[in-house]
Amino acid sequence: MTPATIPASTHPSVPAINIEHLHKVYRGGTVAVQDLSMQIQPGDFFGFLGPNGAGKSTTIHCITGIAKPTSGKIEIFGIDAVKDYREARRLIGLSPQEFNVDTFATVTQIVDWMGGYFGLNAAQRKSRVDMLIQRFDLTAHAKKQFRELSGGLKRRVILARALVHDPKLLILDEPTAGVDVELRLDLWRYLGELNREGKTILLTSHYLEEIERLCRTIAIIAAGKIVREGPKAEFFTVPGGLEKAYLAATGKTAEHVTASAGAA
Amino acid sequence: MSEYAEMQAAVPAKRILINWVGLWTIIRREWSRVWRVPIQAFLAPWISALMFIFIFGYVVGGNIRLIAGHRYVEFVLPGVLMLNVVNAAFLQSTSQIYFQRFLRYIEETLVSPLSYVEMIIGSLAMTIVRSVVTSIGILIIGLAFGATHMNNIFEFLFWIVSVSIIFGLLGIMIALWANNFEQLTMLNVFFIAPLSFVGGVFNTVAMLPGWMKWIAYANPFFYFINGLRDSMIGFDEAPHGVGIAVALGLIAIMGAATWRLFSIGYGLRE
Repeated sequence: MTPATIPASTHPSVPAINIEHLHKVYRGGTVAVQDLSMQIQPGDFFGFLGPNGAGKSTTIHCITGIAKPTSGKIEIFGIDAVKDYREARRLIGLSPQEFNVDTFATVTQIVDWMGGYFGLNAAQRKSRVDMLIQRFDLTAHAKKQFRELSGGLKRRVILARALVHDPKLLILDEPTAGVDVELRLDLWRYLGELNREGKTILLTSHYLEEIERLCRTIAIIAAGKIVREGPKAEFFTVPGGLEKAYLAATGKTAEHVTASAGAA
Repeated sequence: MSEYAEMQAAVPAKRILINWVGLWTIIRREWSRVWRVPIQAFLAPWISALMFIFIFGYVVGGNIRLIAGHRYVEFVLPGVLMLNVVNAAFLQSTSQIYFQRFLRYIEETLVSPLSYVEMIIGSLAMTIVRSVVTSIGILIIGLAFGATHMNNIFEFLFWIVSVSIIFGLLGIMIALWANNFEQLTMLNVFFIAPLSFVGGVFNTVAMLPGWMKWIAYANPFFYFINGLRDSMIGFDEAPHGVGIAVALGLIAIMGAATWRLFSIGYGLRE
């Protein structure tokens, strides 16, 4: 890569993510996100909750460049994620909800290629790939094709790929969906370590326990809008804690959910 | 702080001009993908070329008089070579973009610091590599029949590279548009194959009736085949410079169109 100016702000007052009035309307007219504004501070562990189809993944896709925002502003450490997309993307590591990989490629290739896209030279890639493969206990599977792996192993590969360029901001879209308890606990430990080292983490999950255990700030999205946001402690000021707050914010109650389940 | 993070912190983040490593990675990835199917990628076109050269050039051509002082097999070889370059370029670029979309691993490049131009150039680079490897194999087959000649190596390379770029760009556009494998092959069946066969692979323009000559001159494939033939055996039926202008014009128009499709995210971004 060849240089010119210094884009990313490392000033603590500049948010890791700053979203202002984000709108996303898909072709066909489906409104996925409407007038969404939020900030995530550097070093935060931010939980992003919401029911299926609420707009969590769409918001993440707009931040990372997989989707084009219809309107609004997104900044990553002060860099415009649309205008200066290359500089902004250098700072982000994404572990998506779905396995978006070349399923015939080997584990090593998948992680190594991602390092290459981010401009890591051969020595840097070797060092990072070896470390991550070892860290995620993938050594025995390094030469296997992705399609040959179990669901849990696949999830580890996706996480290793997201971390290969050591991003300042890690975005994890349901990273523990479908993984066993052992990996989940190990991942929680590792994410805690990364966050303590200074990495900003945005986590979406349907496991409230996961959000409760890991995150310091929580936002709840419903029908494309942020309906509640604040420090974790604020969600525990009422009996029922996060679950009750979540159901209330998304327009449901525990009785509501039980009745629906009974009717089904 | 990790070793790599320390390294990053030591070197301030800088604006990227060209992501050379990223560009090279696209080529490495595609090379690896092509080598998963070597029979389909290389052996199939070589066998097909061998059959064309043997039947049309050697067997049938043995009974045809010389064309401008050249044996028919020597006349046919550049046409057969061009057919295979067109196919190799189109198949390489359609398959690489379409499979990336189909399996969604195009998202790996979308979330990385690669510009649209780098993504396009990376795809085209591998398209050229595949065409060149295919061409080398066919030239070697031609040697076995004493049909391979090289009148002008630079002109030869110009035509191989420029036609690879043209059909690489066309393949990228089709792969962005297609939503199934059927649509992916449509252009090849209804446009590329017919136009390339009537573009002078087996005959000179002089052999055609008057009205068909004008159709030949309007067919871009004629200029590609004619140009390659000139570079190999020095037989040229088109006005000088027209073929080069057609090739460069198509590259400019299709390059701009492909860049536009990438920049609006057509078929790429949600």
